[in-house]
Amino acid sequence: MSLAATATMVLMLLLLAGFWIIQTGLLAGLQFTEQKVEVVGYVQTNATASQIATLQARVAAMPEVASVSYVDRDAALTRFRASMAAQGREDLTQYLNSNPLYGSLEVKLVDPTNVRSVGDALRADPIVRNVINIEDLVQRVLTVTNVLRTAGTVVLVIVGLIVLFIIVNTIRLAVVARAEEIEIMRLVGASDAFIRWPFVFEGALVGLIGALLTLGVLAAAADPISSFMADFFRVLPLQFGSLTRDLVALVLGAGVGLGVVGSWLSVRTYLIR
Amino acid sequence: MTVAPPPRPAPSLRSRVLGRAHDQAKPERPVLVLHDVTKEYSNGKLALREVDLVIPEGDFVFLVGPSGAGKSTLIKLLIRDELPTRGEVVLDGQDLAHLPRRQVPRMRRKIGIIFQDFKLLPTKTVWENVAFALEVTGTPHGRIRPAVDRVLSLVGLTEQAAQVPAQLSGGEQQRTAIARALVHDPRLIIADEPTGNLDPLISWEILQLLLRINELGVTVMMATHNAHVVTSLRKRVVALEEGRIIRDEVGGAYHRED
Repeated sequence: MSLAATATMVLMLLLLAGFWIIQTGLLAGLQFTEQKVEVVGYVQTNATASQIATLQARVAAMPEVASVSYVDRDAALTRFRASMAAQGREDLTQYLNSNPLYGSLEVKLVDPTNVRSVGDALRADPIVRNVINIEDLVQRVLTVTNVLRTAGTVVLVIVGLIVLFIIVNTIRLAVVARAEEIEIMRLVGASDAFIRWPFVFEGALVGLIGALLTLGVLAAAADPISSFMADFFRVLPLQFGSLTRDLVALVLGAGVGLGVVGSWLSVRTYLIR
Repeated sequence: MTVAPPPRPAPSLRSRVLGRAHDQAKPERPVLVLHDVTKEYSNGKLALREVDLVIPEGDFVFLVGPSGAGKSTLIKLLIRDELPTRGEVVLDGQDLAHLPRRQVPRMRRKIGIIFQDFKLLPTKTVWENVAFALEVTGTPHGRIRPAVDRVLSLVGLTEQAAQVPAQLSGGEQQRTAIARALVHDPRLIIADEPTGNLDPLISWEILQLLLRINELGVTVMMATHNAHVVTSLRKRVVALEEGRIIRDEVGGAYHRED
């Protein structure tokens, strides 16, 4: 097995790890996009603070709702001015005598598919003036994210299968090269287990060494990648700790697992008769 | 068809030379019995048809017949590389068809097999090639060294023990293979065209060695095309043709003598 198998193992594990990182980023991005979905209900100007607090508490108690925050009229005006200033536009509100904006309840959802029921609950309350209808938009966003999620999973599964076949075949070649040795062992009466275990052990070792080399390459590449991806990660608050842990588990598990399975299957063809 | 002779008593010489005690009390039974054996391969080819064969302990049998007559299939059945389609192959009292898979290696240790192409491991020395047969069967290291040294001196390769197969002549390679076949003290030696790759003089040497091993009490079955050797030795001859035993006579020649 040795060098060729180990090199193949490293390349395949890098491929697998790369696609897995991309898939993780994709999923996080999609989740982030979906969390952006907010139901905003504008509140009548004559609503009392206690009415608003009651509504806020009621909506917050709904199981579909992650959090509810109330933005009062002054805060809304401040926010509007800030956003105008950020875009470099003139602040037109300075020509007004009074604040034209409404206070609003901003509802973050646990799952964006519940946008309708939360919207209806807000609309039903008399102090709510109106709720922006974003259901169609949300539906379209969800269609896109679901397609991307499925496509990412399909690609990852295909890459996984490719990696499996290439590694198993590489190991098979190494075992075929020792077919005569296996045959002699069988003829002199070695038990199947006796013939199998050195190959399985070697497969596990190749897998382990391949996985460690792969992790070494990934660790060396981690800094350049993360500085390259800094903007990406600033937008997407990924938990990098769990990514690293999962990646180590994936690479080690795939390396050793494929090494053992590949050897086992390859030797098996010579033992079954 | 001539019937095989009654079994010779197993000489205790074998135990003395091979250095292992054999239970003398065990009643004599044939090393090998084939009863009504038919082998049909999955492609429909009938390799053996209704073969009956009894080989008593201590026998020396030539297996002759043209290529494709079924000699190789017969040998594959004996080492349970293949199973018979019908009939029984009984080795040392055990029906191979009903042998659990886990027991197959243990059974194979009762057979020593020698091939035309020697099948030595090129990276190991003579000594290691012979020791390999004991190592893979889990023999304790303390027992391996004396056993290997003993068979190497039996086949006359003590001097060459440290050489690798590429440094040996064809005859020496075959003697190494014989030593390996012999080292775990088998009940039956199967030699599949052992002289096929060797010149006549060396072939005689190999044959003399097999005869000597047979004299020590090991049953030998040798498949061969070497008519001269078979005819001049006048041992038992089993002739196969198109999967059938067409002749089984003691003191026979390579060809039918009428």
